[in-house]
Amino acid sequence: MLEVLHSLLFSTLDAAPALVFATLGAMLSERAGVVSVGVEGMMRTGAFCAAVAALAMPTPLAVLVGMVAGAGLAAVHGFLSIRWRSDQVVSGMALNLVAMAGGTFLLESLFGPNGTPAITQLSRWNVPTLAHVPLLGALVGHAAPTYLALLLPVLFHVLLTRTPLGLRLRAVGDKPHAVATLGLSVSGLRWAAVLGGGLMAGLGGAVLSTAVLDRFEQHTPAGLGFMALAAMVFGRWTPLGAFAAALFFAFGNALRIGLASSAPWLLELVPQGFLLALPYLLTLLVLALQGQRGHAPAALGTPYEQESR
Amino acid sequence: MGERTRQVLPSVLSVLLALAVCWLTIALTRDADTATRAYLQMLWGGVGNWPAFLEGGNANAVLRPLGEAAMKAALLTLTGLSVAVAFKVGLFNIGAQGQMIWGALAAALVGAHVSLPAVLHVPLALLAAAAAGAVWSSIAGVLKLKRGVHEVISTIMLNWVAVSLVDNWLVIGPLRAVAEGHQSSITGTAEILSTAQLPRLLGDSSRLNLGFPLALVAALAVWVWLARTRSGYETRAVGLTPEAARAAGIPTLWRAGGAMALAGALAGLAGAVLVLGTEGRYPGTLGAPYGFDGIAIALIGNNHPLGAAVSAAVFGILRAGGTRMQLLGVHKSFPELIQGFALLFVAGRMVWLALLDRRRSRQAAVEVPRA
Amino acid sequence: MSLEDASLDIVPGELLAVVGENGAGKSSLMNVLYGLYHPDAGTFLMDGKPVRLKSPRDAIARGIGMVHQHFMLVPTLTVAENVVLGREPTRRGLLDLDRACDEVAATAKRFGFQLDPRARVDTLTVGSQQKVEIVKALHRGAQVLILDEPTAVLTPQESDELAQVMRGLVQQGRTVVLISHKLKEVLGVADRVAVMRRGRTVAEVRASETTVSALASLMVGEGSRGAALTGVPVTSGADTALTGAVAPDAGTVSTGPIVLDAKDLRAKGDNGRPALQGVSLTVHAGEIVGIAGVDGNGQRELAEVLTGLRVLEGGAGTLLGGPLAGLTPAKAKARGVGHVPEDRLARAVVKAMTVEENVALGRHRQPPFARGPWVDFKGRRERTNQLLATYDVRPPDPTVALQALSGGNQQKVVVARELDADPKLLVVVQPTRGLDIGAVAQVHARLREAKARGAGVVMVSLDLEEVLALSDRVYVLYEGRVTGHFPRKDLDERELGRRMLGAEPDHG
Repeated sequence: MLEVLHSLLFSTLDAAPALVFATLGAMLSERAGVVSVGVEGMMRTGAFCAAVAALAMPTPLAVLVGMVAGAGLAAVHGFLSIRWRSDQVVSGMALNLVAMAGGTFLLESLFGPNGTPAITQLSRWNVPTLAHVPLLGALVGHAAPTYLALLLPVLFHVLLTRTPLGLRLRAVGDKPHAVATLGLSVSGLRWAAVLGGGLMAGLGGAVLSTAVLDRFEQHTPAGLGFMALAAMVFGRWTPLGAFAAALFFAFGNALRIGLASSAPWLLELVPQGFLLALPYLLTLLVLALQGQRGHAPAALGTPYEQESR
Repeated sequence: MGERTRQVLPSVLSVLLALAVCWLTIALTRDADTATRAYLQMLWGGVGNWPAFLEGGNANAVLRPLGEAAMKAALLTLTGLSVAVAFKVGLFNIGAQGQMIWGALAAALVGAHVSLPAVLHVPLALLAAAAAGAVWSSIAGVLKLKRGVHEVISTIMLNWVAVSLVDNWLVIGPLRAVAEGHQSSITGTAEILSTAQLPRLLGDSSRLNLGFPLALVAALAVWVWLARTRSGYETRAVGLTPEAARAAGIPTLWRAGGAMALAGALAGLAGAVLVLGTEGRYPGTLGAPYGFDGIAIALIGNNHPLGAAVSAAVFGILRAGGTRMQLLGVHKSFPELIQGFALLFVAGRMVWLALLDRRRSRQAAVEVPRA
Repeated sequence: MSLEDASLDIVPGELLAVVGENGAGKSSLMNVLYGLYHPDAGTFLMDGKPVRLKSPRDAIARGIGMVHQHFMLVPTLTVAENVVLGREPTRRGLLDLDRACDEVAATAKRFGFQLDPRARVDTLTVGSQQKVEIVKALHRGAQVLILDEPTAVLTPQESDELAQVMRGLVQQGRTVVLISHKLKEVLGVADRVAVMRRGRTVAEVRASETTVSALASLMVGEGSRGAALTGVPVTSGADTALTGAVAPDAGTVSTGPIVLDAKDLRAKGDNGRPALQGVSLTVHAGEIVGIAGVDGNGQRELAEVLTGLRVLEGGAGTLLGGPLAGLTPAKAKARGVGHVPEDRLARAVVKAMTVEENVALGRHRQPPFARGPWVDFKGRRERTNQLLATYDVRPPDPTVALQALSGGNQQKVVVARELDADPKLLVVVQPTRGLDIGAVAQVHARLREAKARGAGVVMVSLDLEEVLALSDRVYVLYEGRVTGHFPRKDLDERELGRRMLGAEPDHG
């Protein structure tokens, strides 16, 4: 039993970072009032660029390239939705479609259908003496993103609740006009949040191709960006809530994969499809029970216009 | 510049710009000549190689591509209409994909397991698909109207639920076709009966089937409904200013819920056209994100039913032609990239309008001294 | 809204009032002073030196503070967080909330405000929120404080309190700029008055050297004043307000049949708290019944209950021969209830639709707007053209989008539509808010016309002058209860004000 828990914990921690980063990124952008359905596309861009960059440079640097690429896509989103006040959902979905088709096109024309060539994965932190200690050992043997994923939610929490910037970001997501009348720049704050969100989504994608896998695959990130949206909503737009939700979803995934190999008879009773659907069903259930209005930032999705008050 | 021009022009310019940008992409990764030839192949693959045909070629050189294009256009029209109709009540239906999955499954089941003469079988299968799609979209509708759950989030969730339940369970589990004889590697549901097939309209050489006219009729019907009937008027009022509609005595919940159900029904029909028209059964997966394409089609068509039909025709042609581009080593998904860029540029509608207005005011400034 | 050629001198240590009609450019001018809008031409001198205000940040840095008409507070943050936003005290890079609370408490105390720095803003009353706004400006060291229509949402008594606050600030050597269109109030508190009309400053006078009627004619301008006065009596003007007396045209008590008889009405507000706690009222055919009260005391909810927009939680009543319970907007319309709601763009019209589509709204199922399930385009066009001509809507084009019309013309379309249905009970809420004086006069004339045709009119207005000018009877609402009921002959502004604050009747 303990062994099962141990391996579940290990694979959860191994798989969670990408989801955690993307969730934090989506949350950051939405707390400032900019809808973030484009997170899937930003992850894909980050994953692709990191995998390609890793062919030419050390993998940690390539992860940075992936982050910048995610932010690049976010910049397009910012340009359309902040500068030009376009519909934020439309802009985000457009980026998803471009990243989807563009990724496939570039992959196939540069490398062929089987993904990019293999790269050096991010190195893991191995502590042989600890590795066999039950449960505690599950904490070691991961790559750096895992530890970052444990640290960043706390940092984000501090940022949002304990710093001037966080106060301003929350204010701009709830009532941008109030922020504007104090001489602060609404678009500046929103740009910061959107670009920051892009960096995080790009990081999430980069982690997929440099730590979870060792290449960019055709379907990366395979809907993980949408699951990040679910985790964000599930976590009520708070960093710690989002982290808990992302971890929970990742745990569910690890459980499903673990069951498939260790207890296939159970999957006869509970079809795998149900388990796959579970995170989304749970999110729907939670939303249905509480309604969404109470927790979403008040000005979410509303372009800021100075004259309309 | 008239109001209608302002509506249409940004879409047209966006598609043109997307074509230009994507041409550049090939020209940069390959060379300009390849790019141009690839575009020609795409065109011929979509509308048929007319030069060759007119020089006395085979009629199939034209019929087959047109059939492929019409088939794709039919699917895109229906999912595009689905998104556009939901937009009319102010709802963003990202869930056309999931609704289409259930529609396709329902059509496949009715097509395979009910025996009826064709005149009844086809309508019944279509109806079942529409109903299945409507039920799925209504979940999002009810959550929105009764619980205030944002439809963008709920339809995204419902898409994944549909994919998980149907593709990862039903069609590989309980509904999987029983293998006949030595064919043991079947994926998907059982083959539909011939009475449920949508009749082909141009003989066997072209896959053009009843689905295309059906989609066009649907577009026309949606347009007439919205523009000319009382309930269509009410639906638009609900979408534009729900509180004013409520104050005017319009049953807003029914109108919004009804439009969302209709959106699901249209996406469900798209599933039926795919299954009854070309696939013959529910394959392992839908094969392409038609539901997401519908978002692009609706928005490029400026959420107008006929606009959606036109943009579906354009992208149907491009995508049917995409397979021909492979001859030149350009991936067949290339038209999807064009479509993605077109949507991105349409999302910048405000930019287009600002550019157009600036141009107009500059013209006006020039004209003033003359006047 | 625009500024044509506006000039304004502000002298340190004075209380300057800027008056003008709605749309005269007062708020635009102030937003320029505050750096929110940027002028196309003109100069701005401070202490004799030209200054360019690129954003409110510049204005704040130069000691200008502004209290906006619609509060600029983040409802989910606390008082202290709202006040320090943008200049937060920090300790080692982190927000120092304790210090913020102390600082805010100190500032509030220095100027005599009672505020809990840790309270969330959305739990405060309107009056307290306004204090937060003032503290916000003072906390930033504002030497010049601009208040934009600050009394619009306050009771007369709260307004008096605000006047004292403003005088106190001036005594401390600060400068206060008060924007208002309430002339009497302005004369009571200001040192100097600047008058704006159509984007220009047309006069600057000492408050002690002018009168309400002199200011009113400056505000309206001779030409347009004449035009407005030939039509119908101008009501928001000065005379009635100055004397507190009642125009001579009324005093009649309608004895027509009862169109509304409601007992002990109860309903919840949007926030789930009780908004109506036992309201009883009757309305006869052929009278205008005014509903007075400070904003947020149940008037809006009452209007919504009467038009079927809000669920009745308790009490009962008869409305045009049917029960009030279970009323829906559709049923109300069918019984002959007309409705001119407060928030026109949200409730009364679909601004992206054409004028004719808006004229049909609500009656779109009957001839001449529909034939069977189909829209009757021809009938709709004919009827719309008729109404546009009768009500002098400009431009008289049924095919333009409604949002292309001015606010006054939009309101004319709404009034035209509602009266065209020949309502037996007309519920109007703030019917003239934001309209220019000509349109106000027209709307008032139409309401009197409806009354003359035998409709019962329920008029909710926050503008006491409007209530006094039009009503045959007045109910005063306070916290969802009727705290006063006056026939026209007993109307008295001070007494109404007392009742609006919940005072029990004692003398008279």
